Amino acid sequence: MYSVAEVDQEICGATKCRLCTQFCPEGNTILYDEVKGTAYVAVDRCKGCEICVGICDDLAKHHAIKMLPIDQVKNGFDISKVGFKRTLVDSE
Amino acid sequence: MSLKTIRPATGFKEYLPKEYQDLIDDGPFLRQRKVSELGSFKEAIEEHPMCAGCAMTLFIRLVFVALPSLEHTVICGTAGCGRLAITQGAVPFVYGNYGDTNAVATGLKRGLDIRFKDQPKDVVVMAGDGGLADIGFHAVMHSWFRKEKFTTIMLDNEVYGNTGGQDSGMTQKGMVMKMAPTGKKFEKMDMLGLAKTAGVAYTARISTTNPTRIANTIRKAVLIAREVGPTFIQAYTSCNIEYAIPTPKVIDDARDVEKDRYGFAEYFSDEAQSYWDESEKERKRLRKAAKKIK
Ligand SMILES: Cc1ncc(C[n+]2csc(CCOP(=O)(O)OP(=O)(O)O)c2C)c(N)n1
Ligand code: SF4
Ligand code: SF4
Ligand code: SF4
Repeated sequence: MYSVAEVDQEICGATKCRLCTQFCPEGNTILYDEVKGTAYVAVDRCKGCEICVGICDDLAKHHAIKMLPIDQVKNGFDISKVGFKRTLVDSE
Repeated sequence: MSLKTIRPATGFKEYLPKEYQDLIDDGPFLRQRKVSELGSFKEAIEEHPMCAGCAMTLFIRLVFVALPSLEHTVICGTAGCGRLAITQGAVPFVYGNYGDTNAVATGLKRGLDIRFKDQPKDVVVMAGDGGLADIGFHAVMHSWFRKEKFTTIMLDNEVYGNTGGQDSGMTQKGMVMKMAPTGKKFEKMDMLGLAKTAGVAYTARISTTNPTRIANTIRKAVLIAREVGPTFIQAYTSCNIEYAIPTPKVIDDARDVEKDRYGFAEYFSDEAQSYWDESEKERKRLRKAAKKIK
């Protein structure tokens, strides 16, 4: 079992932050929905390094990202299934 | 930026992989993207097998955002961890034999300049500290002495990461590695000093703490190489495996090392400085003019 990052969209959406999108080592993994104003994670690309958690907690100080075991992720966004989207869509 | 070189012939788009279609519709070829836009456009780098949380991966990702002319760039790399990710980007990649990168890049750059007289083509070498400071050292130095107009980026993780932890010339003195059990015997090589001596037009030392600064520095190095002469970036991109850095602490480590001995530092030759000052002035003038039109 491995864990992936999950963004609490309510907390993140109340900020205008975007900081974690710049520090994730993986490309096309933390995406940003400009309509909802929130970051979200392509769960099929996340390697579980937790760098984004540190960035959100210590640098942005918003505490919006938690690691979640992959089997507990509900409606995770899969970029390999639906491709790049400008806004968060349901990939189920 | 231009879409011309990547747009498929009419009718073909729908048969291409989704990833390619995304690059056409939302990719970085439409215009120069900013680091602050990350997450809102399809990046040129795809999924790759480098380790989780690797700082080198983050740096490479930012290079693909920063390159001033993606579709007119060729990246030259070699054996080592970085090429695992660099080869998954939508930019042509040439694999030089280990040690040959700067000789291969020399031929490439000269050839491209002859073939495309009206279209600047950028060549960027991006490889590890072992590849550039040890085995590729002679080719790197001679490309600098010859004033070849391309950028060399050293992904300095201070170890041979890909082959399991031998010390390189860029490893710090005394460091004990998995395959250097008695400790590194000599000082870390002063590649930035050597670059200056060899007549490099612009050098920068940088760590992975400030993504916007990384992008600006890469852009600057590529543009100065295009017009003035060789440029060199030495980037601290830690190997969390060989240095046993827990991945959530990778950026903290970059900050500590930056503070301690890897602070951001730039050097311009006189010619590079005056070229850069002029081009900054011109960009400001254009921005002002664009605002007026709006
Ligand atoms: C001529 C030659 N010698 C040795 C090797 C084996 N080799 C592959 S990767 C590598 C080390 C890479 O170290 P570095 O360049 O520092 O890059 P890193 O993996 O640390 O990013 C070596 C020695 C090779 N491929 N070719
Ligand atoms: S760092 Fe936190 S608050 Fe900022 S964009 Fe990322 S998830 Fe949202
Ligand atoms: S855990 Fe690592 S790979 Fe996953 S989203 Fe966060 S920074 Fe990116
Ligand atoms: S071995 Fe080290 S440098 Fe190579 S991908 Fe893994 S963490 Fe990065």
